[in-house]
Amino acid sequence: MTETDARPSVTSDPRGYWAALTGAERGVAAFVAAMLVLLLWGLVSGGLGPTYFMYLVGLVGMYILLSFGLNVQWGYAGLINFSVAAFFGLGAYGTALLTATSSPLTGGMDPILGFFPVPIVGIFVGLGLAAVLAVVIGIPTLRLRADYLAIASLGLAEVVRLVMLNQRDWTNGSAGLRGIPGFFDVWPVIGDLPQTLPELRFQELEVGLPGVWTTRILGFTIGESFWSQTMNVLLVTVFVAVTYLVLRRVHQSPWGRVLRTIRSDEDLAEALGKDTYSLKMQSFVLGSVIMALAGVFYAHLNLFVSPGDLNPINTFYVWIAVILGGSGSNRGAMFGGFVIIAIQEGTRFIGGALPESLPIDMPSFLGFVESTYTTVVDNFASTRLLAVGIIIILVMRYRPEGVLPPQRELIWPSAARTADVSGGVVTGSQVDDSPGPDDEGQRAHDGVEDTVHDADDATDDVESTGGTDAADGNQPDGGTDATDGADANAGDDATRGGDDDE
Amino acid sequence: MSVLEFVANGLVFSSIIVLASIGLSLVYSIADFANFAHGDTMTVGAYAALVTFGTVGTLGGTVLGLPYGFFVALLAGTLVAALVAVITHKVIYEPVDIGSIGLLITSIGVAFVYRSVIRMGFGADFTEFGIQVLRPIEALLPYGVRVTEHDVAIVVSAVVLVAALHVVLQYTDLGRKMRATADNPDLARVSGIRTNRIEIWTWIIGAGLAGAGGGFLGLFNQLSPRMGFDILLVVFAAVILGGIGSVYGAMLGGVLIGMINQMMPLISNFGQYAPLVPNEWGIPIGIEYANAVAFVIMVVVLLARPNGIMGESAT
Repeated sequence: MTETDARPSVTSDPRGYWAALTGAERGVAAFVAAMLVLLLWGLVSGGLGPTYFMYLVGLVGMYILLSFGLNVQWGYAGLINFSVAAFFGLGAYGTALLTATSSPLTGGMDPILGFFPVPIVGIFVGLGLAAVLAVVIGIPTLRLRADYLAIASLGLAEVVRLVMLNQRDWTNGSAGLRGIPGFFDVWPVIGDLPQTLPELRFQELEVGLPGVWTTRILGFTIGESFWSQTMNVLLVTVFVAVTYLVLRRVHQSPWGRVLRTIRSDEDLAEALGKDTYSLKMQSFVLGSVIMALAGVFYAHLNLFVSPGDLNPINTFYVWIAVILGGSGSNRGAMFGGFVIIAIQEGTRFIGGALPESLPIDMPSFLGFVESTYTTVVDNFASTRLLAVGIIIILVMRYRPEGVLPPQRELIWPSAARTADVSGGVVTGSQVDDSPGPDDEGQRAHDGVEDTVHDADDATDDVESTGGTDAADGNQPDGGTDATDGADANAGDDATRGGDDDE
Repeated sequence: MSVLEFVANGLVFSSIIVLASIGLSLVYSIADFANFAHGDTMTVGAYAALVTFGTVGTLGGTVLGLPYGFFVALLAGTLVAALVAVITHKVIYEPVDIGSIGLLITSIGVAFVYRSVIRMGFGADFTEFGIQVLRPIEALLPYGVRVTEHDVAIVVSAVVLVAALHVVLQYTDLGRKMRATADNPDLARVSGIRTNRIEIWTWIIGAGLAGAGGGFLGLFNQLSPRMGFDILLVVFAAVILGGIGSVYGAMLGGVLIGMINQMMPLISNFGQYAPLVPNEWGIPIGIEYANAVAFVIMVVVLLARPNGIMGESAT
């Protein structure tokens, strides 16, 4: 989680930090903590193999990357992209075609090209393919109404999937590509690391109150496969961190501001002389490339790609992560990544834990209950789809701005600091924001120097974000949106800071 | 296969697409959003028909090779689809106030809920109505056309439904109000039209036609929980081709897209069917890309004529 410096830091003042969070932020923090505890419990209790545990952590990272990519398109610029799975798949296939042993194009190629291990080249191939596709999809659709982009992108994603499925001589068709090496496998030195790292054996322990309740924990060995998954997790951590930092910088830059203006009022941006088409294209390509990066990582994590990875449902998993987390909010996107894994693994776990047939005997006239139960359990994978659908509906109904709408993220940290000093409250829903004396002093000190410049910046923000929300970009009359409220809040405070300084 | 046969197959498939695209276009123009749950509404209709057909049985006689019971089932599918759509409208779409894009995203959630509920009840596999497959009509075989009476039934039913819709839209009070609402909801409202009632009627008609189309699609191919979602993009292509908001454009777009979809072999083996060109000519593209071609055509149309071939001049 990222905080601007204005808040109490989590390490030096945990209580103040907790108090400064909004209700939603607390809920999210609690959810993420609970997820982590659950995962760790699964690991410790032996329900989750250590290798699979690391694999899941890698998947969380992958979904976070995907959500970042969609956030650039939908969250920043208001582009409805329903072809997330296509860009993700292109990234995965790009690197897989180059590295997989069963690849019809390059199978059995030397794993070191010149000085570079092939996966490095794979990144560029995957990202390049995605960038080209993004331009190809963007040219006809980005000039059109937003809902056309939705339909056209879903259609073109389907075209990509059909190509992967049917061009057997290129992609192996529905059999998919096997034998993809791990990202670091073919690297000199680093590739041998998993073998050379020691094998650790955790002795099985019995914990609990003897006689009352005991359970066995630990009792697993971590070895080579665990270490290589750990390296994958490290890799995705690097990917996520770099992307996050780049996006944060980009989001706060003038470029990001213009994009937000386009999202809220494209005509206004155009009237101000901005080339909205070109800016939308830039964000479309940027987002698609990030999705492809997630795809590249997935190929080397899963070691197998197939056209099934391009199914539209994968697109909508990412959509959930973004709209649930809060469109335009990268913190929200991180939260969304956890939620997706919670849905996927939760339904898998519950489905596996449910008994085959009802544990109680039903009277015969209630036989349909029994048979319904059996069919539902048989098709329990469908509950995943159901959960996705219900979450979409509920979020759009009750919290269209998402759980963690962007607030502070939109403002330069130093400007937020200034606003804190002079205006007091920063986030609208904050109940109690009484900073301790030591914070105050530090902030005042930091804030003074670049106040004027940043206040101007922040005022710009108000102009660009205070308009109608992109969710109703086509409807001039529908400007009342909850996102609006959030944006306006952030803006208001910034203005307050600016005014006071003048 | 003769060219005529491709035309005949195209007509059958077009009928289904037309039924679906009219509903989608009506909802698009009056409820004002792209309803991604429309395809799954077709699935709902198809499965409702399946259940009804299993319950009522054949009911004796047959028309065009289809038992009476199937028509009862089709009616039930239509009604269930309409009912489900109206409930969804009342419970989900009406209370939200998030503009057309928000509704679009919501409708995807709705589509997933429909599909997952169907999948939980019926499993993910293909099923069939279990109506005996007929032999092609003898009288048409000399012309190289192999169509069954079922195909004829689909086309005739679709024509009847479309004609009925035309009469409703053009000559009844409801139709005039619907057109007025589609044209300018605010003006319609101040003129005393109860637009929220018109919206409900729109859902009833649009989803009802989709339900019927779903039933026919199940007869034409097979039933599966994904059937509606798979055809949705083809239907969108038809609607966009015709011009969003234009019901008659949707009909035309539906016919065109349906024809193109079934005539794919004509494109790949162009030389064999066209006179005066070598037999090898043709665009080498397999029928598995039929849907892809429809999308590409849609995108090309969007580029050249963003408002479709029969759309209004202004968005």
